[in-house]
Amino acid sequence: MITAESMNELKEFIREDLVMAGENEAHPFGNSGHAVVYPESEEDISAILKYANTKGLTITVMGGGTKRGYGGLTETTDILLSLERHRGIVEHTPGDMTLTVKAGTPFKELQDYLAKHKQKISLDPFWPEQATIGGIIAANESGPKRLGYGSARDAVIGLRTVYPDGKVIRSGGKVVKNVAGYDMNKLFIGSMGTLGVVSEVTVKLRPLPKCESLVLVSFPEGHQDKIQPFAVKVLDSMIEPVSLELLNPTLADRLTGQKNYTLVLSFEDVESSVQYQENFIKNILPEGTELKIVSKEEADVFWKKFYHHIPNGAAEITSETEASLKVGSVNLKVLQILKNSELLQDQFNVSVEAHGGLGHGLSQIHIRGAGKDVAAAVTEAREIAEKEGGYAVLKHLPFKLRKEVDVWGKSPSYFFLLQGIKATVDPKKTLNPNRFVGGI
Amino acid sequence: MKVKVKDLKTKDKHIKNLAAIVGGARSILYQETDLLAYDCDGFTIHKHLPKAVVFPKNTQEVAEIVKYCSKNELPFLARGAGTGLSGGAIPLNGEIIISMVKMKKLLSVDLENRRAVVEPGFVNLKLTNSISDKGYYYAPDPSSQSCCTIGGNVAENAGGAHCLKYGVTTNHILGLEVVMPNGEIIEIGQDGIPDAPGYDLLGLITGSEGTLGIVTKITVRILKNPEGKQTVLAYFDSVEDGSQAVSDIISAGIVPAALEMMDKIAIEGVESAAFPVGHPKDIEAVLLIEVDGIAAGINEQIEQILEVCRSRNVREVRAAKNEAERARWWANRKTGFGAMGAISPDYLVQDGVIPRSKLPEVLRKINQISVESGLRIANIFHAGDGNLHPLVLFDSRVSGESEKALEAGSLCLKACADVGGTITGEHGVGIEKREEMRFVFTEEEIAAQTEIREVFNPDNLLNAGKLFPSPSRCVEIKQEMKTQAIS
Repeated sequence: MITAESMNELKEFIREDLVMAGENEAHPFGNSGHAVVYPESEEDISAILKYANTKGLTITVMGGGTKRGYGGLTETTDILLSLERHRGIVEHTPGDMTLTVKAGTPFKELQDYLAKHKQKISLDPFWPEQATIGGIIAANESGPKRLGYGSARDAVIGLRTVYPDGKVIRSGGKVVKNVAGYDMNKLFIGSMGTLGVVSEVTVKLRPLPKCESLVLVSFPEGHQDKIQPFAVKVLDSMIEPVSLELLNPTLADRLTGQKNYTLVLSFEDVESSVQYQENFIKNILPEGTELKIVSKEEADVFWKKFYHHIPNGAAEITSETEASLKVGSVNLKVLQILKNSELLQDQFNVSVEAHGGLGHGLSQIHIRGAGKDVAAAVTEAREIAEKEGGYAVLKHLPFKLRKEVDVWGKSPSYFFLLQGIKATVDPKKTLNPNRFVGGI
Repeated sequence: MKVKVKDLKTKDKHIKNLAAIVGGARSILYQETDLLAYDCDGFTIHKHLPKAVVFPKNTQEVAEIVKYCSKNELPFLARGAGTGLSGGAIPLNGEIIISMVKMKKLLSVDLENRRAVVEPGFVNLKLTNSISDKGYYYAPDPSSQSCCTIGGNVAENAGGAHCLKYGVTTNHILGLEVVMPNGEIIEIGQDGIPDAPGYDLLGLITGSEGTLGIVTKITVRILKNPEGKQTVLAYFDSVEDGSQAVSDIISAGIVPAALEMMDKIAIEGVESAAFPVGHPKDIEAVLLIEVDGIAAGINEQIEQILEVCRSRNVREVRAAKNEAERARWWANRKTGFGAMGAISPDYLVQDGVIPRSKLPEVLRKINQISVESGLRIANIFHAGDGNLHPLVLFDSRVSGESEKALEAGSLCLKACADVGGTITGEHGVGIEKREEMRFVFTEEEIAAQTEIREVFNPDNLLNAGKLFPSPSRCVEIKQEMKTQAIS
């Protein structure tokens, strides 16, 4: 437990004004700290970690706070380490198409900057104004365009990670191809901050597409059996959609005003190629379905709404309880998972907004309602996922419910390896204790 | 007639016991004459005899062999086709080699969900060949793809000419079945479902050079063939112009499927070898640029590439007239390493990576290394992603030349590391570049990696002595390498 004395000791390592007392009241999403520190440099991070590790104090790591409801069974750790002041671009080499950036930099800030150079990071996370690059990588967050561009593990080429004992370990590098030693980057991506604090990230960039297009295909009641054959036809064709994301009717209603299952296809290429692909879709459109090629302005509105529709751990607390599940399955099972999760609405008197990638196998189910109903619905949603051979992780849930419902589900058979890795890197369980699978 | 364990011409109990696990004398090699073929892989400078080579037919047998070795403290390692270029499959400690070549089945293909499951001994190119009639392929395409195995590709995180756009092996692995160094069988990424909760062991094991476990089943992502493909060939009178053209193409927002470069000596090699295509011998650099994707969008990009090359003083630039010409250009390039045999008795290939923008600077440095060592160095490289393959030409019969070649190769890697690059992009560290790991990592960072190895491979019986410099032994081994290179 942190004391006034240790607060003062902390101030010996980093500037006084960067250490503050934590909030008096417990945060509804937990993952708080009795003290809050705002390191401004890697040296600061290292000093704080080393101090905490030596003193047996626990640390919660936070970026923009959008994932504050993602895992964690400790309401208040000793220290909340906020990376919001550890931000900014370290190095951008446009000719090499690589970018090195401090972990606390908000994603949108990076994309806006890169757009001036006609480049981008090929990730499409939610809440991009608040979510930091470090948090996106720690939680391995991805969006619908993962189909075309892959996920964090495909974009990250180098990390600087501060270990719990304060040492700084570099992994990867600044080049796009690298097999020197173990691919340690992969260990930290998606590790929920349980191994080290990523302080700097190097990503490879992509050129901004010369032309973008959004095509919506909606399947009214009575035509839903056409979704799978249509998706299979698209996937088996020569066209290269960057997303092939299915929206459930409730979500489609919010985003498009039409309460039908809707497929979101996006194309990004040179103009002639994009037009060709739009035409291809027109020509294979199943009877009874509706196609809409969305104008640039409308598409911007659509995507903006899309990337802000999921529960946000950094938002104002509402009276309603919100939960999000990330479900992994075989690609085409996404359809069945969405359909089955639709039934939760009546069964538990909750609202369910869901979407999933038919080309990448990840779905997200967002459930809103009264606390008890939401808890029952997420448990059922996990069963739906497992019935289809997949898994479900609760990526957003209030702290109170996280104690009742298992966030990560069954531990894998090779859990001993995960434990072994944690014990090797963070033997004292200093960082984000109990935030990850099996209480790691 | 079945050959039984009692037919073995040895009294060694371990050989007998191992033979019993794999079902008889035909599935094990133990006599020196047979073992000689396994004393090295594609890295031929260092040689060592294994104790035996066993040929399991399934995961269960692999697990039994591993358990036996572990119990009896016999060092062991897995081997695919032996095409690795850094010595990852060389039995430094007289290992039991577990050859995966009999585990070579394509277990399943699921086109709708874009995945295939293979056994580790399945040959890379066979996968593409098996699904190409349906319009699909497996993207990673190392130059040795007609014989290298996918298991070996996973161990080394193999790349290839087309990974510029599509990524290397690790970007295409969805699931692995692994026999742990204690014989336990684990399955990661079941059914190829992405982002399994937990640390990303798929990513960690891929590229771990066979030091964390033995992969016995692999689920890979398969891709739809691009609708169109076009390749451009460009000749430059200066390497600088060629390099600049590479940068300009990338800066123009084009993502080529491949962007390859060869310098003058490399051209001399490929033109003297099996697939000459008539590259002029007096040019300084040739670029091969391939664009693929939606056919409707390709011409526009090709025009842009032609224009970029022209603006950089290209001597001649043109797109392939037809598929046959395109295939010839690529055959010529893909046999590049072997082609060095046509102009030099021996060669040593290196595998540095640099930020693309440092290309001219590093090529100048490599040229200087060549002048100072008195050895010719050819350069074949994946220019698009900055992966250089300097080929140091030497004659091992000339006293001292092998030493010089090793030294020159190491200096080339130092040059790459010094500009913020790395020592290997796709060939792996193996034995060859253990010492060079220090060019890019601190002692602490190397320790962070070996600590992870200990979680998986605590007794270090599996493929010991690879990947990492060992402080106490490195000097002797370097000396030994030199002695062997000379002998």
